Amino acid sequence: MTARALPIEAPLDPQRIRADFPLLARSVHGKPLVYFDNANTGQKPAAVIEATSTFYREHNANVSRAVHQLGEEATAAYEAARDKLARFIGAPSRDEIVFTSGTTQAINLVAYSFALPRLEPGDAILVTQMEHHANIVPWQLVCARTGAKLKAAPIAESGELIVEKFVEMLTPEVKLAGVVHVSNVLGTVNPVAELARECRRRGIPLLVDGSQACPHMPVDVAALGCDFYALTGHKMFGPTGTGALWARREHLESMPPFFGGGEMIRRVSFEGTTFADPPHKFEAGTPNIAGVVGLGAAIDYLEGVGMRRIAAYERELLAYADAALARVEGLRVFGTAARKAAVISFLVEGAHAHDLATLLDHEGVAVRSGHHCAHPLMQFYGVPATARASLAFYNTREEVDRFVEALQRVRKLLR
Amino acid sequence: MSASDLYRDLVLEHNRSPRGFGSLPTRTHAAEGDNPLCGDHLRIELAVDAAGRVRDFAFSGQSCAITTATASLLGERVRGLDAAAIAELEARFARLVRGECAADPALDGLNALAELRAYPARRKCALLPWATLAAALRGTPHATTEANA
Repeated sequence: MTARALPIEAPLDPQRIRADFPLLARSVHGKPLVYFDNANTGQKPAAVIEATSTFYREHNANVSRAVHQLGEEATAAYEAARDKLARFIGAPSRDEIVFTSGTTQAINLVAYSFALPRLEPGDAILVTQMEHHANIVPWQLVCARTGAKLKAAPIAESGELIVEKFVEMLTPEVKLAGVVHVSNVLGTVNPVAELARECRRRGIPLLVDGSQACPHMPVDVAALGCDFYALTGHKMFGPTGTGALWARREHLESMPPFFGGGEMIRRVSFEGTTFADPPHKFEAGTPNIAGVVGLGAAIDYLEGVGMRRIAAYERELLAYADAALARVEGLRVFGTAARKAAVISFLVEGAHAHDLATLLDHEGVAVRSGHHCAHPLMQFYGVPATARASLAFYNTREEVDRFVEALQRVRKLLR
Repeated sequence: MSASDLYRDLVLEHNRSPRGFGSLPTRTHAAEGDNPLCGDHLRIELAVDAAGRVRDFAFSGQSCAITTATASLLGERVRGLDAAAIAELEARFARLVRGECAADPALDGLNALAELRAYPARRKCALLPWATLAAALRGTPHATTEANA
């Protein structure tokens, strides 16, 4: 090492990152892969693949129920991931982390265990117009069973939440509010801390869908001041079928279990059952142990790179992509928020999203097309579908160039 | 496999200038079709004669090039045919896009969609106009690709 120390926030070197992700080396239709579908799922670093594989090769056993050595190792590895995740999102306590299969299950847990017992006819749940179906449909299901209503706060054409309207809609009948931290379609970063303050002032618990935030920016649930935070492991470059709910301890203690079964009990008899304390109360049955261990490895990896560094790199890459796309004639970008993650939903005049996606795929560029599980947003913009390029810290300017060149060729073909 | 195998000139041309795009003032049958997975929407209107044969065909909606070209080519092909003959053609088309035959003379211009055999995720785009046409002929107002996928 030289005498001059590296600045703490030295810029990220994407080539070094890429070398850690085996899949990024492959080609598609004879072209080097440009993976721009990160909002859908992230690729996995070798460290995650190896952690999962090592668990099965060397430590596999069930958790919290075996006294033998392997059982101890499996439990230690599984619980270590809980510590890592608690630290990663700034949770005040590891016992406030409930592992789930992902954000969808986490939100459903809150819907059925927290909201359902509390809701009465005339009550309301407030979400926003930019929510993913995962933060809409569970609420509709519990509203249908209780006579409560689901309301949606409007957004502006830029894809930003109209904060005053949201606050205005926090009326006394609202018993719970839900907001996406980062929109999976628009990239909009919502002012969660401000919304949480307004909710707290009125005694309304706030759930945050953090699926798209955790892989791309530092998250601190204590600083945000929300009540629930749902996240997805596979978007954070961890294994599929992993995720978590963070909730304030008092909420978890007040919530009845969602699933019943093994692992979540203290004592069972046919007269009645007493439940384990949170978080185990909500983790009935054998969990996705190897997946959670892999998620722990993903968190280690992200922390090794540094979330601030990742956020700064992606901000710069987004600015580069925006400038490059501005040169494409007839391009319409959906979502132009001032605070925006590297998600670009777009259409090209005269071309349908699916045609764009299929033709880009032939150029080796993977983007998603469709409604992105956000029908209400598509209705807001009056389009059936959009194409979406979502970037991550292993993407490069060269890939953005290839994407834009491919888009130009596609545009000419469909014209 | 290259993009131009799926997006052949005939497909691109029918997408640019679809035949029978619009509405039929003299319609006797109509149905709406949806592909819920992608959000595509299609409306087909028909003029059917006393013998049950399609005399005129029009379609409208927002859809991808594959759906639009299929609907356009379909309208040209089914004029003069009755529901039974159209059902027979639909079965032949399904075999074509599944790759169970290389080409089928009975399908005429619709053979341009044969490359869908390599694109399972896009087959529903081409099946939507067929499902909507069948619904219109049956007198059901609505069709979805999720029933016949």
